[in-house]
This record gives sequence, C-alpha cells and structure tokens, in this order.
Amino acid sequence: MAKVTDMVLWDKPGEKVLLLGNQAIARGALEANIAVYAAYPGTPSSELTDTMAIVAKKAGVYMEYSTNEKVAFETALAASWSGLRAMTAMKHVGLNVAADTFLSSVGMGVEGGFVIMVADDPSMWSSQNEQDTRIYAKFANVPVLEPSSPQEAKEMTKYAFELSEKFKHFVILRTTTRSSHARGEVILGELPEEIKAGKRKFGKFKKDPRRFVDVPENARRFHPLILEKIEKIREEFNDMPFNWIEGNENAKVGIIAPGLAYAYVKEALHWLGVENVKILKLGTPFPVPYGLLEKFMDGLERVLIVEELEPVVEEQVKTWAYDRGLRIPIHGKDLVPRVYEMTTRRAVKAISEFLGLPTPINYEELDERYKKALEIVPPRPPSLCPACPHRNSFYAIKKATRARGIYPSDIGCYTLGVLPPLQTVDTTVAMGGSIGIAHGLEIAQHGSISEEQRKKEKKIIVATIGDSTFFHTGLPALANAIYNRSNILVVVLDNLVTAMTGDQPNPSTGQTPHGPGKRIAIEDVAKAMGADFVAVVDPYDIKATYETIKKALEVEGVSVVVSRQICALYKIGQMRRRGMKWPIYYVDEDACTGCKICINAYGCPAIYWDEEKKQARIEPSMCWGCGGCAQICPFGAFKPVEGGDE
Amino acid sequence: MKVKEYNLVITGVGGQGVLTAANILGWAALRAGYKVRMGEVHGMSQRFGSVVSYVRFGEEVYGSMVPEGKGDVILSFEPVEALRYINHLKEGGMVVTNTKPIVPVQVSMGQARYPSLEEIRKVVEEDFRARWIGFNAEELAIKAGHAITTNTVLIGALTQIPEFPLDEEHVREVIRLSVPPKAVDMNMKAFDLGVKAAKELLGL
Repeated sequence: MAKVTDMVLWDKPGEKVLLLGNQAIARGALEANIAVYAAYPGTPSSELTDTMAIVAKKAGVYMEYSTNEKVAFETALAASWSGLRAMTAMKHVGLNVAADTFLSSVGMGVEGGFVIMVADDPSMWSSQNEQDTRIYAKFANVPVLEPSSPQEAKEMTKYAFELSEKFKHFVILRTTTRSSHARGEVILGELPEEIKAGKRKFGKFKKDPRRFVDVPENARRFHPLILEKIEKIREEFNDMPFNWIEGNENAKVGIIAPGLAYAYVKEALHWLGVENVKILKLGTPFPVPYGLLEKFMDGLERVLIVEELEPVVEEQVKTWAYDRGLRIPIHGKDLVPRVYEMTTRRAVKAISEFLGLPTPINYEELDERYKKALEIVPPRPPSLCPACPHRNSFYAIKKATRARGIYPSDIGCYTLGVLPPLQTVDTTVAMGGSIGIAHGLEIAQHGSISEEQRKKEKKIIVATIGDSTFFHTGLPALANAIYNRSNILVVVLDNLVTAMTGDQPNPSTGQTPHGPGKRIAIEDVAKAMGADFVAVVDPYDIKATYETIKKALEVEGVSVVVSRQICALYKIGQMRRRGMKWPIYYVDEDACTGCKICINAYGCPAIYWDEEKKQARIEPSMCWGCGGCAQICPFGAFKPVEGGDE
Repeated sequence: MKVKEYNLVITGVGGQGVLTAANILGWAALRAGYKVRMGEVHGMSQRFGSVVSYVRFGEEVYGSMVPEGKGDVILSFEPVEALRYINHLKEGGMVVTNTKPIVPVQVSMGQARYPSLEEIRKVVEEDFRARWIGFNAEELAIKAGHAITTNTVLIGALTQIPEFPLDEEHVREVIRLSVPPKAVDMNMKAFDLGVKAAKELLGL
C-alpha cells in the first residue's frame, strides 16, 4: 500500500484515499498552488508540517521548520507580501508566540493568499491550556474557517487561499485535535501544473512604506480598514460552500452547529430519531453571516447553539437577535459545557434537554458502572521512554542537589520528569519559560549577584530546557539571566531533535528536511552570551553527568550544562528501519537484593517488580539497551544479554 | 448487506502498535466501500501511556470518536486497558483482548495494584454484560516470528467474531499490502494464529 505522504502528492483526481485531517489540509494547500510554508511543530498541528516537509521538494514548495511560531509567521507573511501563496501552522498556544506580529500586521493585509492554520486542543490532550482561537480571530478581526470532516478540511484550505486573496486579508483555518487527528475518506482534486512539475515559484516584493511600516501615522489608517474588510467578509459568508441550512424547512426549532460540532449534532439527531428540526451548519464561526442567519431564524420559535468551548457564535447570534428585536429563546452555554471537548454524548444531552426527550441510554447508570470498573484499573500515565537520556539527566540533577533544589522546567517530553519517581520538575508554564522562572525564583529567594544585600546561599535552582525549546524562546531568557547576574544552573536537555512532536529537526540537529542546514552548538551560544560556566556531558555516563553538575553548582553566576544524547525513540526507530540490533539487559537473580532503587529512584518503564520473587525484572521487549540501570544499581544486578538481541 | 454503523475501540499501551492496527482496519473498511472515520491522539500520550484509537464505518458515521455506550467491540492489546475505555462499549458488545500484561511503573512502585485477569473479565461480563475473548496474543506473535506481530494476531481474531462486517480474506489482503514485503509471511502466519485462537474460544 502506498505511503500516505505519497498519496498527498498523487496526481489522481477523483481517487478516494484515507487521510488524517492534517494531511488533507496539506493536500488542499498543494491543490491551491502554495509556494511557501513555514511552521514550528506543535500537537495537534504537527502532521501538517511533517507532511509538507516530505512532499515540499517534489512539489516545488519552499518549506521550513522555523525556530518558533513568530518567525514562521513572519516568513510566510513576507512570502505573501511578495505575491506568493503562503501558509503557516501552529498549535493554539503557538499563536500566543506569533501574536505580536499577527495583531500588528493584520492591517497591512496580504498579496498572495495567506492562511494561518491553528490547531486547538479542547480537553488538553497534549497542551497546557484550552484557549479558543476563534476569540483571537474576533480580537484581530480575521475570518476563521472550521472544517467538519477531512474532505471539508481539504476543500476549505483551497477556499481559504482564494478568500485571502480576494479581500487581501489574513484567514485562519482552525482545527481541533478531533479534526486534525481524525482520519476519513478524501476525494483528491486537481493539482496545479507547477506543483506537478515541482517548479519552485518566486515572488516580487513591491515597496510601499505607507503600508508596510506600522508607524502610528500609517497604523491609524489600518483599524477602520480592517473593520471594513471583516464586514465585507461577513457578507461574503452568506453564500459560500461551507455554510448551509438543512433539515426541515418548516420546523419551529433550530440548531446551529459550527465547525466539527456539526458532526456530533448529526449523530445525535440520528440516534435520538429527531427529524423535525432545522439545522444551520456553519463553517465560519467568525464572522457569522447575518444574511444566512436571518434566513435560518425565519419561523423559528426556539434555537440551540451546540458549540465547543467559548460562546463565540452564541454571542454573535444573540447580539444580532437583540438588535433585530427578536425575542425567542436562544440556548447555548446553558445546555452545552464551556469546558473540554465536544462529544456525541454532550450533543445528545443538550439536544434531548432542549427538546424534552429522554436520552437513548441511561448515562447516569453507565457512569456508575464505569466508575466501578475504573476502581480496579491502575493509572498508566505517559512516561519517559526506556533509554531516554532525560531520565539520566534528571537522576543526576536530583542526586547532585540532594533533591533539595527548585526545578523549573519547560515544554517537551521532559515535562514528564514531574512524575514519580524522578519528580525533578517543579514548574512548567510555556515554551522557554524555565529560564525566566528560574531567574525570578533566584531573585526572590537570594537576589542577584550584583545586589549589595544579596542573600548568599548555595546555588539550588536548576532549570531544564530542551534543545528545540532553547532555540524557540529560551535564548532571550538566558541573555536576561546572564545580563542581570543571576545565580542559576541551566541544563539543556539536548537530544538533537524536537522529540515530543515527532522528532523534527532544529538548529541543534543541523539538518533540514531538504539537506544540511547550519548546526548551532548550544554550548557556543552560551559561551558567546557570557555564561559563567559551560560544559557538555553525555547523560548515558551518569557519573560524569553528576560530577559536571556538581561542579557547575559551585560556580557563582549562570552555569549552562548541555546534556547531549540523541533521543532514544528516534534512535530505535532508525535502527529498526535498518534492521539493526541493540543490546538488552537482564536481572541477575543472584545479585538482585530487591532494594528497588531502580524502580523507586530511576523508574525505567522496562523495569518491573516481580512480586513473587521480590526482585526487579526487565521486560525484554521494552529494553532499548542504554545500560543506565547497570550504572545506578549498587549491586551490579543488571547485566547485558550475551550477544545482544532485539 | 452493509452495516449502517460499526464502532471499534482499540486500546493498548503507547508503542504496542494500536495506531497501525487502526489504520489497517480503517483501510480495510474503506476498500470494502464504507464511509470511514477514525480518531486518534498523538503527542505526549503516545509515550508508554495508555492509548486509544477509534475506527468507525457506515453511512451514519460523522465524528471520529466512538460515542459512549455505542462501541460494538473493544480490541485491547493489554488486559487492563480493556477496561479503561469500557464506557464506550454497548450492552451486549464484545471485548477481544491480549492477556499478556504490561505492568505500569506505578504498580511496580507499590502505588497501585494490577488486577487479576478474572477480576477484569468479571467487570466485562457482569457489569457491562459484554462477551469476552482473551488469549495471549503476544505468545502467538512470537510463534509467528516476532512479538511485533501481536497486532496482526489480534486483527485475525477480530475477524472471527459474530457479525464482524469485514471479510476475513479482505482484511488479510489489506495486511499483506500494508506490511513490508519481507514481513508478509510472518504476518500471515500471525493472522492465521489469531483466527484459530478466536475460533477455538468462540467454539466455531
């Protein structure tokens, strides 16, 4: 069977293929003849960027993994200003990073179509908050499109480029985890000749300082221009392919279903057997097209808005109704929860309550049984992989600080260091936040080195940050800590890839998807910035890592230790692909005393406790052969299997 | 002949091949002419935590998640994971599970208890009034050539359960086309072992 990434570039119009929502968007961008794509990976948006990385060269598209969302945004925006179709993508919180450019440049508009794909994460499956991007859209007065199926995700992407060009305005394509990570059938459309030929497109930037320089005199002209555009787009949305009215035209009750909620509403109505209802399917939660709304509301006596997260559509509908003097009951957040993701159950409950119908199953009784079932289910949170170098770094940090340090950390796999037994993560806020928080904690507990009244104590604050996060937003924070004479240790957990989102390359990797980039060594950056102590260690050597950290803690000022070892998951994946074997370890039953240090202090998921024999054991299928257990066991009970194995 | 809606919940531990199994079944349904929706979660949850994937097909399917109380089958790669999403199973549904446990770190640390297979089965059969097929799929996979084919063994077993809408030979063909050429024989053997195990357990 063909690889999905090949299918995305198939020149087979009419062919039906199974695509992930994110891959469908990539196909849509290709069908729209995209020229430039720039993004920083972030779940649940990453597969769009990774798909573009694989197909870009063949399609003649410039694609890059940028170092953060703001830079990615600017790269794509400038391409659009040069007349090219351009796209950037990010997870919802990525827009916070890009927000300065986003909100400052919106008035300048675009030349080539410019599409900002933002993937929200209701229920926070892989995120630190559940902010609703539609509020950003409203804030910036930028239209937002939201698909209800993978096919629609592809078609909407194409349409988004056209819309952006028509109004010379930004367009947000908003997905959620359940649309980005939904797979479904997609019928392929035509690919443009240039994409098929793999011909790279180049643009031309026409200078226009009155437009592209946001000094106050120019910026003052922007705001009314933005408002004028968004009202025109509101009108455009009255008649567009992703908004429609369906169901019973003469029904007295109506349901408004924006974005993916449409899918849940359809299923709920079918399950409830309800037919006598009118539905407004909205692909454009902002701005809500008032003309279409008026047509929908005609003859209705009661309305329900089934909307995920914030009442963005609800507020627009209620405002419109109030201004019209329309006084019918409009339900929304009174029946649909404002937190966490939409489900069929939520749609069923809201609709059955709205229509006074019984639910098809007794949810209270189901919850009761489910709660009882879960009582015997042990928790299984995600954990650092076997052979993960971060485990060794945390183990060494904890030992060197005798577990008495304060440990601000950052966004990445290593956030899992918060879990037992490592518990070496005390704070995590946002990308790059570890160093700023570490500095603030130091100032608050002890003061800066240049202060006369500094409280002199041993260095105890140890920040951990990954390589990709370091380049993303760690750099300004490190400069700040060094400049303001902090006394902290920053351990950069450098596993040479952006691991959590799928092993994407970054400046520490050096490679780009299209060939060699220029590698930037983190220790060189730290030295150039003026860090007071800089060292590089291999965390697979736990003793050396421990000793280096000890040394770094004795130096007054900002110390930077780069703990460098390739991501184990990435490495094992590469080895598997090449049919290579790796050593595995076993427990020597004569040597194991059952002290449990390996389980209660180290915590490799391949090591488990044999309750009968009261000894540690290794699950061979999970051992990736780092040998860390052999280094931390005081009794030498972990030994490599002769000859190795996979 | 075609079902209007079929809902599969596939559960296991990150790294076990849950996503791969879901993809194979999704493709098989698409090739059988069904409308397909699948739901999966990527990112941090894949790191050795519990994972769930949904495969749905039929005309009345829109969302990517199997609604609570509507799942026809839970296909579980690990015994205790068969219970973690059991709220999605319908009354009279079925659990097909690998019985080889993967003990969570929390259990080894003494912070939680791993239930016995009998306890798990009791919840499925008594509290959820569902049918149960449990067997050591990993053992059969190793017999077929490698533990990595555990998912193929389980898919083989799945095709044998009553009213499963996809044909055994059709699913087998999709697996043949999906795996690397040198792994075809091993996977076919694994599939057959799964079919045989299910037949025996179901008394077919």
